[in-house]
Amino acid sequence: MKRSFHLKTILALALILSLVLPGTAIAQEETPVAADPELRLTTTYPSQVAELGESVTIRLNLQAIGASQTVQLEMDEIPEGWSATFRGGGRIIYAVHVSTEATESFDLRLDPPAGVEPGTYNFVVLARGQSLRAELPISLTIQERVPASLTFETDLPTIIGSPSTTFRYNATLKNEGDEELTVNLSADVPLGFLARFKVAGQETSSFPLGADESKNVVIELEPVVEVAAGSYPVTVFANSGEVQAVLNLNAEVTGQHNLSVSGLDGRLSGRAVAGEETTLQIVVSNTGTAAAQGVEMSATAPNGWTITFDPEVIAEIPAGQQVEVTAMLKPADQAIAGDYIVTVRARPAEGANKTTDFRITVSTSTLWGVIGLALIAVAVGVVAIAVMRFGRR
Amino acid sequence: MARQAKQRKREGSPWTGLGAVIAKEMADHLTSARMRILEILIVLTALGTGYAALQQLTGESNQDEFLFLRLFTTAREPLPAFAGFLGFLVPLVAIALAFDAINGEFNRRTLARVLSQPIYRDALLMGKFLGAFFTLALVLAAIWLLVFGIGLLGLGIPPSGEEVARALLFLLATIVYGGFWMVVALLFSILFRQAATAALASIAVWLFFTGFWNMLVSLAAQTLRPIQFGLPQEQIAQTELALLLSRFSPNTLFVEATVALLLPSVRTLGVILPFELQGAILGAPLPVGQSLLLIWPQLTGMIAAILLLFVLGYVSFQRREIRS
Repeated sequence: MKRSFHLKTILALALILSLVLPGTAIAQEETPVAADPELRLTTTYPSQVAELGESVTIRLNLQAIGASQTVQLEMDEIPEGWSATFRGGGRIIYAVHVSTEATESFDLRLDPPAGVEPGTYNFVVLARGQSLRAELPISLTIQERVPASLTFETDLPTIIGSPSTTFRYNATLKNEGDEELTVNLSADVPLGFLARFKVAGQETSSFPLGADESKNVVIELEPVVEVAAGSYPVTVFANSGEVQAVLNLNAEVTGQHNLSVSGLDGRLSGRAVAGEETTLQIVVSNTGTAAAQGVEMSATAPNGWTITFDPEVIAEIPAGQQVEVTAMLKPADQAIAGDYIVTVRARPAEGANKTTDFRITVSTSTLWGVIGLALIAVAVGVVAIAVMRFGRR
Repeated sequence: MARQAKQRKREGSPWTGLGAVIAKEMADHLTSARMRILEILIVLTALGTGYAALQQLTGESNQDEFLFLRLFTTAREPLPAFAGFLGFLVPLVAIALAFDAINGEFNRRTLARVLSQPIYRDALLMGKFLGAFFTLALVLAAIWLLVFGIGLLGLGIPPSGEEVARALLFLLATIVYGGFWMVVALLFSILFRQAATAALASIAVWLFFTGFWNMLVSLAAQTLRPIQFGLPQEQIAQTELALLLSRFSPNTLFVEATVALLLPSVRTLGVILPFELQGAILGAPLPVGQSLLLIWPQLTGMIAAILLLFVLGYVSFQRREIRS
């Protein structure tokens, strides 16, 4: 009976096996590691390029085949100065628990040291489970970043002009970076100057500049006061966030004389008697920055007037000095009483002449008044003679 | 010769009794009905023209520097300006005051009685003239003050010193102008025995100068300086002759004096050529001294004419037989 049981069992097993085995053989082919537990640490992009100074976060995947386990994470190889942290679930992690057949994802964050050099850096991530380990080499190529940068250039950084010149510089501002920038222009201007910026003919101080775009910027430097001769350095800044471009300009101001004609104490009026010579004190002052040479005095006066100057020509008026000129003014003999305009002109050997109008009040001679009085005196005399001649008792 | 020597010899001053005659004359004039009528006439004129000018001046927005002077010169239809009114009222008043100065005494047969007092004929004639003259000056000054007062009340701004000086000189010119017509009337009152004849003669002279002289002047200028070729020189010569002749009329002299004194921007009264105005600032007022200088010939001419006419009258009066 016992043997027959065994036989029966064996037959049954054989039957079962004959039914089951072909399927088992297929399963063994599809998962050949099922029986061989191992850890798999992978990443999609194991070799990356990063920009200088940038932190890199890399997504890592961990698989534990065969046995679920807790895996310790560490860096097997890390270049000097770099720091690596693993992050998962919003926190820094040191270990990952991986279930069988599951894939856990977490981040590796690589922070470069402050003075990192461009180049290729190799990292090796080590995942250590119970008796199992997996390594993942990562290579990071640190590249010099193409920084947002501006260049500011001009062909003529030095312009020569007089104190009344508006110094106009044509500069080119170029955005060398990859982003659009909003550029602010400012200038460090010497005292007495006023800086203006014009882009496309419009006065502006702030404008957008697209990536790789360049614009012509006209920098106008206008002296607002009578600046002394000399060299005036001007620094123009183009700012956009942290990016700055500097343009050094120079305004060479040459001296210029600036004459003005006025009377003594600024009086622009005078008195004269018809047909009589009077003197008019005229002050020619040079408020400019250079001496005026050979200043010739002349005047436009009404018809019949004579005006002479002493001196006729002033050899030199140094800058900031004034010279007194005596004008001998003689209105026409028959000039009608009243106010007249006399235009006095100072003409330097070089440069524009300056004119000033003087208002001359002409009085007529009192000679006729005296004659009138004499006439009355004669008439009174006639009365007196008549009284003496015809007076009677 | 003996008679002449006797005539020349005088005892006492010709001024004796002059003050008394002037005082009596003025008293007579100021209380006379004739004077009252003239006063009323002139005061009404002053009030009327002053008020009209004021209306005109306050009606317009005015930036005139010499606003006060315009009180005398601003006319408002239908009334002429105050200065224009004076131009024909003053001669009338002056003539009215003096046309019967001497012949009136004759006709009332009071001359001999007056001269029997210790008063020379010189003093009588001088007193007659000065009495009337002072009366006229008094009346004109009163009217002047009246207009000035109206101006102060109406305009509400005080006149500047320049304006006061000009207005005073205008008053002086008016008085001198009145004096001229007064001495004309006085002369006729000596020459004609009838007061009416003297008055008519005076009025005739006045009318002649007011109405006919200008016509004669333009006629004479056109005849003596004809414009044959239409040259500018000819035109200037004719205009200058016309101006010269018209200045023989006291009316012209008075008008010119008024214009120069009351319009400070007037620079000259003669012919003005464009080149003379070159460089001139037009409209700029002259100082009062220069304006006075401008009309000085007019003023002195009138004063001299007064003195000479007075001498004529004086000589004629002294040579007259008055005892009949």
